[in-house]
Amino acid sequence: MSESNTATLEAGSATETQSVKLSMQQALNRALDEILSTDPKTVVFGEDCGQLGGVFRITDGLQAKHGESRVFDTPLAESGILGMSVGLAMAGFHPMPEVQFDGFAYPAINQIVCQIARMNYRSRGTLPMPITLRVPSFGGIRAPEHHGESLEALFAHVPGLKVVSPSDPHDAYHLLKYAASRPDPVIFMEPKSRYWQKGDVDTADGGTLTGARIVRPGRHLTLVAWGAMVARCLQVAELAAEDGIDVEVLDLRWLKPIDAEALATSVGKTRRAVVVHEAPLTSGLGAEVAQLITQSCFDTLKAPVERVTGFDVPYPSGDLEDEYIPNIDRILLGIQRVLEYRRG
Amino acid sequence: MAEISFPLPDLGEGLIEATVLDWLVSPGDQVERNQPLVELETSKSALELPSPQAGKVIRIHGSPGETINVGEPLVVFEVPDNTAGIVGTVPKDDAPKRRVRLSAVLDED
Repeated sequence: MSESNTATLEAGSATETQSVKLSMQQALNRALDEILSTDPKTVVFGEDCGQLGGVFRITDGLQAKHGESRVFDTPLAESGILGMSVGLAMAGFHPMPEVQFDGFAYPAINQIVCQIARMNYRSRGTLPMPITLRVPSFGGIRAPEHHGESLEALFAHVPGLKVVSPSDPHDAYHLLKYAASRPDPVIFMEPKSRYWQKGDVDTADGGTLTGARIVRPGRHLTLVAWGAMVARCLQVAELAAEDGIDVEVLDLRWLKPIDAEALATSVGKTRRAVVVHEAPLTSGLGAEVAQLITQSCFDTLKAPVERVTGFDVPYPSGDLEDEYIPNIDRILLGIQRVLEYRRG
Repeated sequence: MAEISFPLPDLGEGLIEATVLDWLVSPGDQVERNQPLVELETSKSALELPSPQAGKVIRIHGSPGETINVGEPLVVFEVPDNTAGIVGTVPKDDAPKRRVRLSAVLDED
């Protein structure tokens, strides 16, 4: 609890705090507005980002306020959006492109992997790429193909990229501003199914913005998640508490680099871990998390780290989403498998 | 509340404009998806244009007899912020349902 919050509680006044209730969509919109206002080198662009304000309204009103030269529409060509970002960064700009949906990033993989991720390395540090690529990510909104994919493992595997995903409006606001202030390219994965839920945003105090964050402390088991799965894991933790199991929920937030120390601290205490993600199982980030935990906690672990994930199939559209995305029962079953495990 | 503009869509066959014949909705009307909004005439035919979405009509562009180019504003809707996403639906935060119960003997060694 920060001092300013304490002071506000005592004063009983809303004027002394910067805390406001915002949806993630509003928090991101506000963050972009403030970044554009304070950094004249920032430009925001993508399909429908200008006149329309984005299909999720994240850039709503920004073109009218900051002008068509700083917030603008692009052709429907992701390789062009990201290729242009490279040129803008070389010319000293701070590009904040949007790829409208996760699955639309594939046509721009060459620009992301072969240019954005390694231009700084290739140029011996003379051409940094201060690019924040916003990608509405993950599933849960009943959209068609290419609109529900989880690309974090793909991006995390590329040297030179940083990857982050906020799970609530407060983190969305502060992590976007933090990402935009970095000299390195950051892939900013927005959980699109969480755009509209409101939460308290303390605009004055972002707290620690690097590393993971414990969103619910617990004693018996650690649920590791990011993006939209954090909210689901919090629901699961409440249900587990009914059965006497005290679950800690760790929001990883940064998916590259991963906060190995936070994993070691949390699972070192609980001695049991389940990692939950929407992406397919095989070569998903859950494997990396499980290895980091095993490396630091092998001697004290009560059971092998469990993974509850999507399946090794293309992301399914429509109602099949409910069968694909880890649901409450599948996560509870993962917890039960860990609880039941006995060393042979 | 958020505003969403609906420009005159590409009506096919290379047509670049249409003339308003008659408005079937007025500002203030609440419309449903696929409800006819306006009768238009092109050089090929007359047609009714269905609404691409539900919402409250707050502005209409073009009086009967006026010609509108493809891509120019036709209707502006007002929608609640939480339904303003153009693709997909907003997931409901339902009370969590469970079938699985946990059982464990926690030896705190």
